Amino acid sequence: MPMLTGEQYRASIRDGRAAYLDGKRVGDVTADPLLAVSVDWVAKTYDANYSKDPAQRNPMYALPSSANELRAQMAFLAASDFTAATTAGCMTLREILPDLGKIGPAYKERLERFLDRCRRDDRRVASAVEDGGITAAGKVRVVARREDGVVLRGAKRHVLGASVVHELLVVPSGPVAKDDGDAAIACAIEPSAKGLKIVNTTTAPRAEDDRHYPVSREFSVPDCFVMFEDVFVPNERVFLCGETAFAGTIVDTLGIWERARSASEMADRAELVLGLAQTIAEMNGVETVEHIRNKLSMITVWASMCRAGWDRALANAKTTPSGTVRPDDSAVYATKAYGGERYNDMLSYLHDISGALVLTVPAASDYDNQATHKYMEKYLRTMNGVTGEARMKIFHLIRDISADQYGGWKKVTEQMIGGGLIAQRMNALDHYPLDGVKAMARAAAKIE
Amino acid sequence: MPMMTGAQYKQSLKDGRLTYIDGDQVTDPANHPLLKTAVDVAARVYDSFYSADPGAYNPTYIIPRSLEEFRERQEKLSKGVTDMSLGTTGVSLLALTSAAATLGTLNPEYKDRIYAYVDYCREKDVRCAEVITDSKGHRKKRPNKQSDPDFYVHVVDRNPNGVFITGAKMHISAASIEHELVIMPTKAMYPGEEDYAIACAVPVNARGVSIIDMTYAPRGDDVRHYPISGKVNCPEGFVIFDNVFVPNERIFLDGETAHAATLAHSLGLWERAAGLGDAGEHADREVGMAALLAEANGVADDARIKDQLANLVVYATMCRAAGEAAMVNATKTADGNMLPSPLFVSALKYFKSEFRAKLLDIQHDIAGDQLVNAPTVADFENPELHDGLASMFAAPGFTPEDRLRLFHYVRDTTADAYGGWAFVTGQLAGGGQHAQRIVTMRQYDMEHAKEIARRAVGIGKYAKKGEDNWKPLSI
Repeated sequence: MPMLTGEQYRASIRDGRAAYLDGKRVGDVTADPLLAVSVDWVAKTYDANYSKDPAQRNPMYALPSSANELRAQMAFLAASDFTAATTAGCMTLREILPDLGKIGPAYKERLERFLDRCRRDDRRVASAVEDGGITAAGKVRVVARREDGVVLRGAKRHVLGASVVHELLVVPSGPVAKDDGDAAIACAIEPSAKGLKIVNTTTAPRAEDDRHYPVSREFSVPDCFVMFEDVFVPNERVFLCGETAFAGTIVDTLGIWERARSASEMADRAELVLGLAQTIAEMNGVETVEHIRNKLSMITVWASMCRAGWDRALANAKTTPSGTVRPDDSAVYATKAYGGERYNDMLSYLHDISGALVLTVPAASDYDNQATHKYMEKYLRTMNGVTGEARMKIFHLIRDISADQYGGWKKVTEQMIGGGLIAQRMNALDHYPLDGVKAMARAAAKIE
Repeated sequence: MPMMTGAQYKQSLKDGRLTYIDGDQVTDPANHPLLKTAVDVAARVYDSFYSADPGAYNPTYIIPRSLEEFRERQEKLSKGVTDMSLGTTGVSLLALTSAAATLGTLNPEYKDRIYAYVDYCREKDVRCAEVITDSKGHRKKRPNKQSDPDFYVHVVDRNPNGVFITGAKMHISAASIEHELVIMPTKAMYPGEEDYAIACAVPVNARGVSIIDMTYAPRGDDVRHYPISGKVNCPEGFVIFDNVFVPNERIFLDGETAHAATLAHSLGLWERAAGLGDAGEHADREVGMAALLAEANGVADDARIKDQLANLVVYATMCRAAGEAAMVNATKTADGNMLPSPLFVSALKYFKSEFRAKLLDIQHDIAGDQLVNAPTVADFENPELHDGLASMFAAPGFTPEDRLRLFHYVRDTTADAYGGWAFVTGQLAGGGQHAQRIVTMRQYDMEHAKEIARRAVGIGKYAKKGEDNWKPLSI
């Protein structure tokens, strides 16, 4: 089967899935004005990579086998929609196939078949990891076992893109206790499965004129709370069921690409923040003012260190037994922990350099209005060569990514990938090759 | 004239003002979807203080002359509803009266006009906007060296009855839902810049005034997902003055460049001091919010969480301490008006802004991603979803509604449109971080500090002779 076009993708998700937004059932996610923003984003990735050649496959399904391929893969994911990253993340489960086969040959065959089908049919996958609640009722578990499959109940939260993909890959949210086998469930479910309800929130702008939101109008992904109300999963889609010892391996493997994408994006975002700060400083004519240079220099150090962290993750990439190259975990965690810990401070510097027009610059529609256009152009320009319109657009961009709905969502979401700031730091410690540095310390102290 | 009721206030806004939002002209702010909430809140403020007694007036017009009077004013204000427009009115008038004595030395009429204007505002019960920040053009160039002379508001013409001004002022909170614009120079002016040294007041509906609004008011049909900004919000105005006439009796400074910054300093102090009375209370609320999130997520006993809460407790305690110190160390102007300590006011403002980034990180780390993806009130009410969501969101000690409300509150105030607005304005209102540091440095008694250091080291007049100079010092 050849790859899908954007239009074919749209048609493929009109399948009666039970999606909700703002308390209302959404009949067709591709037609809902808010969810269509995400659908359009995904469709663009489809169209950008489409080939009629039946042998061609989207690069997101390939696992990199060299440092260069890894770098190229990350660049590709950065340029694609969010579901490309989650789909690529699911493909990393090929890594665990040999070990999975040891505990259940059928599990291995089913998972391999599922991953092959996604690749063959150009299907997008969202990973459903975090349990929906902190009590037993909020955790996804097997509530009935039948000869032909299992029945699930519970909820998963923060399933990015659940309502606009073809498959949900359900995995345990972390290691599972030995006596809690019903929670050790990994499987694939189509969003249209009976009993599945997908509650969406989205940062897609609700303003009539969305030009005021230059990023979120294009790059919003639905953040979904997925409820499983006795959802039947046929055996051929069950990849783990009860083997508690293996639960942690699956979720950890799945998280590798998510964390890597986040660390890579942190390096890109830091450079964008620096670029915006320097640009607006120049537009305001203050790029040589000492306290402004001081703030720019702090953002520069931060951006450089984030880039260095990600480069280190790539430079120290490890080749797994199956031949896949993956970024160094310790460096990934360190990049996220350091970049995240300084993120709000850097936004403060950006805002301080920009000034309050970040919040108060009027909308594009005011710029279009004949009654106000001349005033906006006159008073937003600062000098020859800096138009009011260009400055307005920079302010809109800064506000959208750092001081509005999308900015808030993005900040919290990226902060929580890898478990939050403290967890990221602790994981950096746990994944660091401490033996090497301890040996160095002993050699320096001249002790055995 | 008696005080206005909320209804009278709403009616008073239909005065022919030129206000725009999202590209459209607003004919009736009280009934515009994006301004209505702000007007409703301001109307509630009017109703909450209303008295039919002809001599009654809102406590925001009180000019305190002692710490006791300041606290009495705060006490009276706390008995009614408050909003941005009430706050800007008080700050504008306090800024004028704090500068009145100084401006009176230039021209006694300035001082008389200021006090007469305060009387006018009190008697008419009108709301005033703080109108200070110019569009500024190239930030490093003086106002009279810009490529456009209108980048700073300035006098473009005059006649025996007054002056005409042109220019634009930015970030004017509540401008389009108030009655008066209190205009001040944005910074110090120098000889040759006399036309830019203009402070005055004009009504919002003055001919030649246009206001383009921006707002963080939530959009969409159901604003219950925004528990704070859905109920309380305020527009920010981009205020344009196109050859606006100002009568002499509303001119408080006209050409005296040496004192152009007096009003800016005065306004900055009162802007920064606006939250002084409840600085500790607000900080305690942030600590409480983090502690509740920890309990709602079942992680209150986690050692890492306790460590983070300890950071917040230290922060809250220092906010309360600085707020109290600003009041205890208050001074008086030559007119006898009370001034909170600029040193502690600026130090507190800086400290709060500096720590805010960390405070949010801690709250977000404890809350987790549910902060930004918890379903809406409407989702919870949908019968197809209600029971499922109710069972998923329950937690020991918290109903599902409790948890949802908690997540929605913290998202709205820290990680959404209003949260972004609060983050930036908290930092920039009353001057950015650099300005706070400069003011703090100026106000700090560095000579006293150096004197103590000299004594500790035993140098200067504390130097002793011979061996005694090297004896251990008592600290």
